[in-house]
Amino acid sequence: MKIVHKIILANLFDILLIALTGLFAYQNLQLLLTKLRYVEIADDLNASFLEIRISEKNFFLYHDATELVNIHNKLRESQNAMQSEREDIIRAIGEPNYRQLELCTQDYLEVINAAGQRGMNQESLQVRIREAGQRLREFADHITKLERANVNRIIAGSRNGLFISLVLILISALGISQLVSQRILKSLKEIEKVAHAISGGTFRKVHAVHPFHEPAWMEQLVSKLPLLRTFFTKKTPDELDSVMKAINSMSEELKQHEEMIIQSKKLASIGILTAGVAHELGNPLNNISMLAQAYTELYDDLGREERIEYMQKVEEETERIRDIVKNLLDFSKPKKPNRAEASINAVIQKSLSLVGNMLQVSNIEIDVHLADNLPHVLIDINQIQEVLINLITNAIQASSAGDELRIRSGLDDTGEHIQIAIQDTGRGIPPEFLPHVFDPFFTTKEAGGTGLGLFVSYGIIQNHQGTIQVQSEMGSGTCFTITLPVCRREETGG
Amino acid sequence: MKGAKIIVIDDENIVGKMIKATFEKDGYHVETFLSAPPALARLKEEPFDVIITDLKMKGIDGMEVLRTVKKESPDIKVIMITAFASMDAAVEAVRGKVDDFFPKPFKIKDLKVCIERLLGG
Repeated sequence: MKIVHKIILANLFDILLIALTGLFAYQNLQLLLTKLRYVEIADDLNASFLEIRISEKNFFLYHDATELVNIHNKLRESQNAMQSEREDIIRAIGEPNYRQLELCTQDYLEVINAAGQRGMNQESLQVRIREAGQRLREFADHITKLERANVNRIIAGSRNGLFISLVLILISALGISQLVSQRILKSLKEIEKVAHAISGGTFRKVHAVHPFHEPAWMEQLVSKLPLLRTFFTKKTPDELDSVMKAINSMSEELKQHEEMIIQSKKLASIGILTAGVAHELGNPLNNISMLAQAYTELYDDLGREERIEYMQKVEEETERIRDIVKNLLDFSKPKKPNRAEASINAVIQKSLSLVGNMLQVSNIEIDVHLADNLPHVLIDINQIQEVLINLITNAIQASSAGDELRIRSGLDDTGEHIQIAIQDTGRGIPPEFLPHVFDPFFTTKEAGGTGLGLFVSYGIIQNHQGTIQVQSEMGSGTCFTITLPVCRREETGG
Repeated sequence: MKGAKIIVIDDENIVGKMIKATFEKDGYHVETFLSAPPALARLKEEPFDVIITDLKMKGIDGMEVLRTVKKESPDIKVIMITAFASMDAAVEAVRGKVDDFFPKPFKIKDLKVCIERLLGG
């Protein structure tokens, strides 16, 4: 369901609620007005009935026949008033009550009329007059009280209704704003994380964030109403889903591009490797060839010793070729690492002890800072030691007496990788050479560099799912940074 | 041209040794060096007819030897040898500037023919 549809739905709900509340309030008000109108009429009637009862009392006290006429006239007036307000009264108290009231009045009127015709001395008539008067007065009183209570009830009901509506509207407004903002904020956070990861070179995908699921009744409602279904099918992606889809496809494309770049780099390094191999093999091959040619050409002139020397040289050059081939096979088919859980600090210390003599001879200051309580790493200790010794040896060779070698270990920001930095204050690597330091057969050393050390180190670290990076500035030194993934408990089963 | 004087510069000592052994049998005078600086110094002392130099060497490489020699004594013939099997960028750079070029491994006989041709003998 799209976010905009959710907002529309919530707004529709709120509007419906407000309209219902308004309608309810209006109806209550109408009813209230009717009841009040009746109470007004009833007050008039009650006043008339009270006067009638007073006249009745006077009649019984003084036997004044004019009182009977008064009662008769008042009753007629009341009847007329009731007749003229009939509609309003019926609306307020209902038809049965009205008829009852009408009956009481009529009954009373008939008794009064009978008294007027037959004289007032008749005992039973007096009783009937009293009874009818009392009944009328009581019934009118009862109805009026009832209606006042109704008025109070309606007012209280309206108050409660309004309060409940207000609460419901507030809840729904808060609910939808919470739902929408949570969905948007969480999604934005997820997108932000992915953007960070992408800028860091990890092309992961955004996972859709749904802090709240649409309740089941909503699905049922939507599935039952075809009109709603066109708007609110669950499969319709919302705006954030579209954004995430776009980010995911971007991430995917970046990943593919990076893979292409890596592939082309690989091809380039195969080219460099091939050229290197050709050159490395070309020299001993040429030597063997020249030895053989000279041997043939000078055979008669050569003494026995010289002939043996020539053949020994051929053998030496063959060995040279064999060594190159063996080394290449080692690099191209890396041995399966023999991994064990290890403390990187211990491996660093061990490597340092192995190059300690070289450090002393070179007169290079060493500054080691290893973080305490580092999590273990799952490594082939010999291979990682080879890498560290390689880097430390390079640093020593690039430094002069009095330079400093700094070695650091620690956790990276995410806590998922151990970082090892090997930094020298030596010559530095020219910027144009930096991209090639990990290429096979690349060396800047005057003599004795095979150009394979960093190439091999790179391969070892890659096999450990780690990274190795170099930063260098001419004149101020070089820093190699290795990251290795922290050993996870579940991977080691411990 | 028998008696011609040749300098060989190659950090692989077998190259110089074998050229010396086979060429001196034919009457050439051959001096061998493992790097360029002493060879260039030797050139200042005496004139030579041919320089055979490796292309890829530590310090001063074959290209620089070629430039120096051609600048100071343009008559000296320079032959470049290299273990780069293919005609890559470095090889292309020396083509046309050197008098001849031999990729390793090469035939000593071919080298002799080449020198005889270059010296007009």
